[in-house]
Amino acid sequence: MVGAGLAGLTAAADLAAAGVEITVLEARDRVGGRTHGIEVAPGAWADGGAAYLGDRHTELHKLMAGLGLAATPTAMDGGSRFALGGGEKTRAGRFPPLNAVALGELFDLLYDLTARVRPDAPWLTPGAAGLDAVTAAEWAAGALRHPDARLFFPLFLGEMMAADPASVSVLHMALYLRSGGGIRYLNAFSGGAQQDRVLGGAHQIAERLAAQLGARVRLNRPVRAIRQDGGGVSVHTGDGEEHRADAVVVAVPPLLAQSIDYRPGLPAPRATTATGRGCAVKVQLVYREPYWHAHGLSGWSVSATGPLLSTVDDSPPDAGAGVLTGFVTGAEAYRFAALDPAAREAETLRQVGELFPGLPPPDAVHVSDWVNEPYSRGCYAAVFGPGDWLRLGPGLRTPHGRVHWAGTETSTEFFGLMEGAIRSGHRVAAEVLSSHATLWREP
Amino acid sequence: MNVYQATVLFRRVLENPQVTAESDFFHAGGDSLLATRVLSAVAREYGVELTFEDFLLAPTPAALASTVTGGPR
Repeated sequence: MVGAGLAGLTAAADLAAAGVEITVLEARDRVGGRTHGIEVAPGAWADGGAAYLGDRHTELHKLMAGLGLAATPTAMDGGSRFALGGGEKTRAGRFPPLNAVALGELFDLLYDLTARVRPDAPWLTPGAAGLDAVTAAEWAAGALRHPDARLFFPLFLGEMMAADPASVSVLHMALYLRSGGGIRYLNAFSGGAQQDRVLGGAHQIAERLAAQLGARVRLNRPVRAIRQDGGGVSVHTGDGEEHRADAVVVAVPPLLAQSIDYRPGLPAPRATTATGRGCAVKVQLVYREPYWHAHGLSGWSVSATGPLLSTVDDSPPDAGAGVLTGFVTGAEAYRFAALDPAAREAETLRQVGELFPGLPPPDAVHVSDWVNEPYSRGCYAAVFGPGDWLRLGPGLRTPHGRVHWAGTETSTEFFGLMEGAIRSGHRVAAEVLSSHATLWREP
Repeated sequence: MNVYQATVLFRRVLENPQVTAESDFFHAGGDSLLATRVLSAVAREYGVELTFEDFLLAPTPAALASTVTGGPR
């Protein structure tokens, strides 16, 4: 197993349970991939990476239950703050101070696109070539007339899928939104994909799976090459280790899967020059308590200018800390990630001071830069650019001899989410087991 | 816009055939995102532009129909 994120560890656990001898090679010095815990106060954790789940994330819920992990609701009570031009405003609820009819027209168009895409095989969508040839920015320039819709669309897309409209194809946007349950479900907290968090942090899922797998998980082993021959497959790590196996699962994001040297070579790429990184930087500001509650605010804000395009209360329940999490997404994530740490903090504090006047200085500021994370290359997930679905889609899950593929980007259900990663893990484990008779037959 | 037309619109946007003239949009599966889709349909089909706050005051098909027929604001 190459990669100890949720996909790799889920698959490894399934395979180990079936009696398969398995080794998990992880490049980092930790497991969890795009989940990562940040200890914000002694024993209190916030999610520096993937965080949210909803009731439709059934495989994630099952996995958590089996690991003794519970969900805790995301607190959204109180007013919101908006900085969408013309100064900061407070509003009850989450609805932004923008023209509702214009936003409705935007959502009508997005709804029609998501309804049109073929969810199991987006490349077979009627008109797929046309939809995959244009970027979301080009689409928006032609389709959106009202300035409020044009203002809100990149913010919405950044929040939903951490994508810059200029680099994502319309087909991928439609697939992502459909695959996650549609625009209403993906956008919603209560009754939607952000309803809950993992109590104590999402990183515990991978940590508990890895604990069960024990010594089978090997850290600090970046895989550089995968060589197949008549008798099996050899996996070569950065420091020259060779691991011999009957089959290999590559459970890393597409850009990383593409960077491995395969012999024989891949018949189709895992990523192209159009494939982009999910553009997300998460900023966590830690306070002694969630002071915004005393002002009747939920901590939710949306801003038209960065760095923090949205903020949300991420305080651990029943723990002595208030955590405000800011999302820097889309093109802004690249700009912000390139700043030095002092400049990032200064920009963050200036903006939070405007959004939440009277908030004391935070005790700590944590920045999780997923854009430049070498062993993720982006978050939430790879952003398929123009032409990608047509080129990559048909072979997304097709094994290359003894090499199988997993990861949230191989799941057309809940693509980009923890749920998609876990579903891909179960799928690939079943695939390896069912190939067993032919794949592992003695000569 | 009559009550029947408003009910049909709610049912379509909510994908919920159980909606009646007195169903509250926000108790029948609706949220602010879906509310904007009701407002865009009202604007498109009846030429009346309502605000989100207007809708909060008229969140049932019966109330929405009377708001819309009450004339543009």
